[in-house]
Amino acid sequence: MATPGRLATIGLFASQELTLAVRSRWTAIFAVVFAALALAVGGSGYILTGGLGLQDFARTASSLVQVVLLLVPLTALLIGVQALATERGAAELLFAQPVARGTVVVGKLLGLFQALAAAQAIGFGAAGLVIFSQAGQEGAGGFAVLVAGSLALTAIFLGLAAFIAAGNVGRRARALALALVTWFVAVVLFDIAALGVASLLRSGHASRLLVAAVLLNPVDAVRTGTLLGIEGDAAFGAASLAFFRIAGGRTWAASALLLSVAVWSVAPVALAIWRLRRADL
Amino acid sequence: MIAFERFGKRFGAQVAVEALSLRVGTGEVFALLGPNGSGKTTSLKAAAGLIAPTSGAVLLGEPPRPAVDPAARDVCSFLPQKVSFPDALTGLEVVHFYARLRGAPRSRARDVLEFTALNGAGARAVGTYSGGMIQRLGLAVASIPGAAVLLLDEPTASLDPVGLQAFHVLVEQHRRDGRTVFFTSHQLDDVERLADRIAILVEGRLIATFTRTELTGQLADRGVMRLVLGRRPADLAERLTALAPRATLEGDELVVPGPASRRPGVIAGLQDLGVDIRSLTAEEGRLDAFYRELIGDPP
Repeated sequence: MATPGRLATIGLFASQELTLAVRSRWTAIFAVVFAALALAVGGSGYILTGGLGLQDFARTASSLVQVVLLLVPLTALLIGVQALATERGAAELLFAQPVARGTVVVGKLLGLFQALAAAQAIGFGAAGLVIFSQAGQEGAGGFAVLVAGSLALTAIFLGLAAFIAAGNVGRRARALALALVTWFVAVVLFDIAALGVASLLRSGHASRLLVAAVLLNPVDAVRTGTLLGIEGDAAFGAASLAFFRIAGGRTWAASALLLSVAVWSVAPVALAIWRLRRADL
Repeated sequence: MIAFERFGKRFGAQVAVEALSLRVGTGEVFALLGPNGSGKTTSLKAAAGLIAPTSGAVLLGEPPRPAVDPAARDVCSFLPQKVSFPDALTGLEVVHFYARLRGAPRSRARDVLEFTALNGAGARAVGTYSGGMIQRLGLAVASIPGAAVLLLDEPTASLDPVGLQAFHVLVEQHRRDGRTVFFTSHQLDDVERLADRIAILVEGRLIATFTRTELTGQLADRGVMRLVLGRRPADLAERLTALAPRATLEGDELVVPGPASRRPGVIAGLQDLGVDIRSLTAEEGRLDAFYRELIGDPP
């Protein structure tokens, strides 16, 4: 019997993971909550304009950034760890097959990414349709940047979930706890800590710290990049503004942010594969 | 087919297996026995490529390749001790997935489900299966590729009677087809019934290996004949030294250890000495007692 090639095997794992994610109540809950929040944020523009109409795509996208930054990393980490930190018996059966461990990881991640992207598409699509019907297509480019940012966060935090799961085969509860800690550090604690430390430093050092913070934390990189794409530096916080000034322009800032996002998308997956290859199961 | 070459495995300071050298040949049914924590599962997992040796090597197939090399595992199929599957998939979906992964035809999925008596439950989600059914599904998955080497970690521990029957059929099929089965077990009945060769591990060290013939001989040596004697000569105890050197006389009972083949000679000798034999019982050596003797666990 001829075993399938590497690409076909990746496709097989992706397809199975997509099936599992579609049948998972967690994916369904995420899709519903995300759609509800997107519609609520989109609809809030109607109230803010005094009932005259919805805000356009760009303003809605700005309002949705915070929802995406909070919800997408959390969901990607939890659903990713839930799927990848399988029970020991399942992992042993799977990894005893004549398939490289990296192939399994990449295939599963692809399937999970497809499932979460589809869940987000429901939310973005619903909000987009409502806005388009009421406010036209003005600012649709900014909305597309937000969707891209959301997908980037999904990829990055699925990679981090893979890294956590690779060190916790058969220990799902521990992996889930680590996923929550990772989310808290990346989304909540990191910015507070960076700003706190920066406030104790002299101006030059503080700026450099804040610039580093934007590039080192994927949430900050995506936030800065998305806001930059939607409405320039108008909505920037202290760290993003410091980064934008030092980058010396939109092109350099966007390039540095894209590089940061690319590294964050690839490095955790590569480390997860490396970790899993060395692991005794 | 499977070669452990001074295989050693440590987990931190703990030595799981030490310098294990063992060869399991093509077509052999080989059982690995030992108390809990003796290194059986570690050795089996090393053969399945799940554990990398700390020292030495574990090789699979012809030409031999390290088991940690994914391509080497083309020749083998592994069933873990406590197998599990995603609850949301049906039995048929699970089997289809592994059939595609191993390049087996789609029809094979139906065959293995039927073989493990799960064909009626194939459309049901695994989450609704009992523990015995899940273990049977594991057996079905392990038998999909028809691999040259079947690695089974305590396969009968959680099997229901239907699964047990399927397991025995699977092993016999492999034996007939000249394929290798390497399994660990605590079920000595299965070992005695199925294994061509047995190895015993204690605290990570190989302490004994036996072929089926050698084991039969060892068990025969541990057989015992008990005779209740009536009238007998006064110097019987001395005369027994020549007739049955290991025999002991306690009151009216004469206990003669040794294989069944020697018993007729002993009985004839006693009759020649004028001994009146009132009753006689015989029992064969038991694997569990022999096993306990080997691992130093008194009965």
